Amino acid sequence: MTATLTHTPAEQALIDALDGATGWQAQLREATLTQGLPTRRHELWKWSDLRRAANDVTAPGRMIVTGLDTPISDGARIELDVTASAGASAADAELVIPAGASVTLIERYSAEAAALGNWHLKITLQDGARLDRIILAADKPDSAFIASSEIALAPNARLHQRALDFGGRLSRIETHVTHPGEGAEVDLGGVYLLEGGHHADSTSVVHHTGPGGVTKQLVKGAAAAKGHGVFQGKFIVDRAAQQTDARMTHRAMMLDDRAEIDAKPELEIYADDVQCAHGNALGALDETALFYMRQRGIPAVRARALLIESFLAEPLDAIADETLREDFKVQLRTRLEALS
Amino acid sequence: MLKIDNLHCQVETQDGEEKPILKGLSLDVPAGEVHAIMGPNGSGKSTLSYVLTGRDGYEVTQGSMVFEGEDLSELEPEERAAAGLYLSFQYPVEIPGVPTITFLKEALNAQRTARGEDEVTAPEFMKLIREKAKQLGVSMDMLKRPVNVGFSGGEKKRMEILQALVLEPKFMILDETDSGLDIDALKTVSEGVNALRAPERGMLVITHYQRLLDHITPDVVHIMANGKIVKSGGPELARELEAEGYDKYLGEAA
Repeated sequence: MTATLTHTPAEQALIDALDGATGWQAQLREATLTQGLPTRRHELWKWSDLRRAANDVTAPGRMIVTGLDTPISDGARIELDVTASAGASAADAELVIPAGASVTLIERYSAEAAALGNWHLKITLQDGARLDRIILAADKPDSAFIASSEIALAPNARLHQRALDFGGRLSRIETHVTHPGEGAEVDLGGVYLLEGGHHADSTSVVHHTGPGGVTKQLVKGAAAAKGHGVFQGKFIVDRAAQQTDARMTHRAMMLDDRAEIDAKPELEIYADDVQCAHGNALGALDETALFYMRQRGIPAVRARALLIESFLAEPLDAIADETLREDFKVQLRTRLEALS
Repeated sequence: MLKIDNLHCQVETQDGEEKPILKGLSLDVPAGEVHAIMGPNGSGKSTLSYVLTGRDGYEVTQGSMVFEGEDLSELEPEERAAAGLYLSFQYPVEIPGVPTITFLKEALNAQRTARGEDEVTAPEFMKLIREKAKQLGVSMDMLKRPVNVGFSGGEKKRMEILQALVLEPKFMILDETDSGLDIDALKTVSEGVNALRAPERGMLVITHYQRLLDHITPDVVHIMANGKIVKSGGPELARELEAEGYDKYLGEAA
């Protein structure tokens, strides 16, 4: 006998929305039914209280995903627009990147006010496949939006992921990677920039299961007063994954004393011949540089924006597609100007 | 052009206390003149450069500083820059991620906008910066690098002067511009400064040693000790100091 859980209106709405669902959505429904939405009591959600963030959700909503009909072949460019209406909703999809193919995947997330959106992507990279995954999570200020992915690589595959998140009431981008080593490479990068009241959570687990894997991760963020950034990064290195080379870095800037940034970088290593490292640094804006710029005539607001932009831009510099890279930087700049 | 009268300034120390540094400093630099301020370490030379340019934490408690009829203490640092005040920093600041060219173009156009002038276009700016870089022997490659990042002490000072050549300020404050320079760099930098000497431009050269003044000949030399000017004279005063040291002025100030 299990005790019957009393569901919040948002939990009930999500359960109702997923009535009759199959696959991942059925799992989500079951988890919500038995455990409710995650709260701070769950170790993996201790800085991101989803139940609380969804407290204005009362009815089922809809999640619309466009672009899934794009054929996946070498050189393909898949653009997925994922939109959550008000209310509780979920959607998922599965992509297989064929052996040797090189594919660009662009995901744009948006959500209406009072939405609880759950988006899940399962991606398989076959031998020698290459995926550039680029996520823009920009337009969901008054909602809770969770994007999770499970990505499995074959030997010699290469995953390059970049996410830009401007947060929301609660925004979480969760990435789970299975890394077989054997010539496979993973590069996870992200940027978050948060105004007051916004929350962004970058959570990832890279599980190294075979020898000689290379993993890089660089996440940079900045939060204004009452903005809340969360970074949870975990590298697991199995005993079989000797000679793994894995490096994780999170660096963030508190733009105000009232900003909050929580970070938990973790290494879990069972192999003895590996090179693994993590670094985490929190700082403030360099006041000396700010004065230097103002002394040259650059107004304080602009100088701040330039300094924050130059700090945050680094992960985005590695976006291979020049148009996208510039587009992301313009988004960042626009957001920074609005922030100041 | 720059009139400082009985200026008192206090600086917030790291433990949050206010420490008086300038204690009644008066100075008048007319347009077209180069004045040198010499003084021992701790006499308040750098504080003077920061309070004139408006750095946070440098508070005027008494007296006035007026630039071309405008009360500087009323202006933000960027407004002082647009009014024509330029500080060549003793320790130029590194700004990772911002290319020097971008930085300078931003600065020039921000100043021009503040003065109600048209912005310079990208081609105009490139022409201007090429010409000035050539004058100082700075490569375009260096200008593409982030501001001051990875530059040697001498290169940083050279870039400070290059920025002045591009921004063409009305008044320059050179704070220990000779520190960290070898003799060749000192020559190049001095030539850059001398090229900026003009009837409508004033300069304040802050230095500990006389050697910079062999290359940039001042019209007036002031000796500063314990937060004020204790003696003023011609260029010969600098040589006298070099020979005799600051000791007797420290005595007078105390």
